[in-house]
Amino acid sequence: MTGSRCPAPLAFADVVDYWAGELTKVEEDRIEEHVFTCHACARELADGEVLARGIAAVARDGRLHSVITDAILNRLSADGVRIRTFTLEGSGIVPCAVWAGDDLVVSRIRADFADVDCVTIVTRLASGEEIVRLPDIAIQPGQREILSAFSAAQLRQLPATRVSVSVTAQGGSGERMLAEYTLEHGGSFER
Amino acid sequence: MALQSLSPPVCGRAPGDLTAIGLAVSVPLVHWSADSRSVSASDGDLARAIASAPPGAAEAEESELYRRFAPRVRLYGLKHLRDESDAQDLAQQVLLVVIERLRAGEIRTPDQIGSFILGTSRILAGAGERKTRRRDNLTAQFHAADLYAEPALDSIDLAAVERCLHVLADRDRRVLLLSFYAEKSSPEIAAELRVTATVVRVARHRALARMRACVGLQEARTV
Repeated sequence: MTGSRCPAPLAFADVVDYWAGELTKVEEDRIEEHVFTCHACARELADGEVLARGIAAVARDGRLHSVITDAILNRLSADGVRIRTFTLEGSGIVPCAVWAGDDLVVSRIRADFADVDCVTIVTRLASGEEIVRLPDIAIQPGQREILSAFSAAQLRQLPATRVSVSVTAQGGSGERMLAEYTLEHGGSFER
Repeated sequence: MALQSLSPPVCGRAPGDLTAIGLAVSVPLVHWSADSRSVSASDGDLARAIASAPPGAAEAEESELYRRFAPRVRLYGLKHLRDESDAQDLAQQVLLVVIERLRAGEIRTPDQIGSFILGTSRILAGAGERKTRRRDNLTAQFHAADLYAEPALDSIDLAAVERCLHVLADRDRRVLLLSFYAEKSSPEIAAELRVTATVVRVARHRALARMRACVGLQEARTV
């Protein structure tokens, strides 16, 4: 079969499972036997690989502005991604900056998440301009902190400025402020 | 078009002993400009044309066979060898072995050339202990970089992937990062996110399908 349509195309879900390593050996063999006789489905398999590789490359390059987990943080460290960490907890102003060589800045945002299912984190400049909004972050029972990652390359674009980080929860009576932090961003520094 | 020198067919090998082949086959060092007849031919037709032509005379068909299957062997290599350069080596070697076998008339069922290429990929990928020798053989006889045809989808737009990854819902993004970067299984991700493994799999299917649409891979397919 060349470029013609496949009469029994692979489901993209199977392609995703193949690259995620979720299939049995028999299922993997079935997919491989199919794509070696079907050009169209070989392209499907290539799509899955390109995306999986791209996602890994984005993370490895520190091009994240996202909530991450300990497992992702551990993998970033193992891959040699240079991570600068700040902890946001309680009141007071947290001094921060990004340095030459930093790849990723991770904030450990600590708050009382009891009885909260979902929060939104918004980071704003002193001018009120939103830098990033991370909506609908699921909170697990007993969770005490959120790891928020931000690309150091993007932070380098910021001037020295005061930055606020707000954590809000959605409730029956609307949005409720759980915590608000202030960071004094000193800008980007060479070593 | 430059050609590598050609050696006589190698006979009398033990079945499966593919790595013992000296890789003394040649394929055009090219730009893989197979003619339109080759492009429209079935895989079996290509295999038959190569088998019936004097060695090296079916350049267009050999190029087209390489163009079609080298990317698939590379994908197989990425899955099982988990290394880009090993996968590219595998793609080159498998196609060279297959073309040599075709030229030597050793493939009796040309219509099943895809299955033969997969079988060859499995044998060579499984011969891990022979990898060094395999690569040495390859390097000795070819300029691998000249031979390898880049897969059409190999050039990935990381900026698009980055943008599309961050458009996803938080949990879907975490599932993708945990799956394809942290290389966690569904049960591991489920434990970390406190959902079921089924929820993880469904989220991963949905999220990667959205990513594919967002980065334009499907559009590229239909253009």
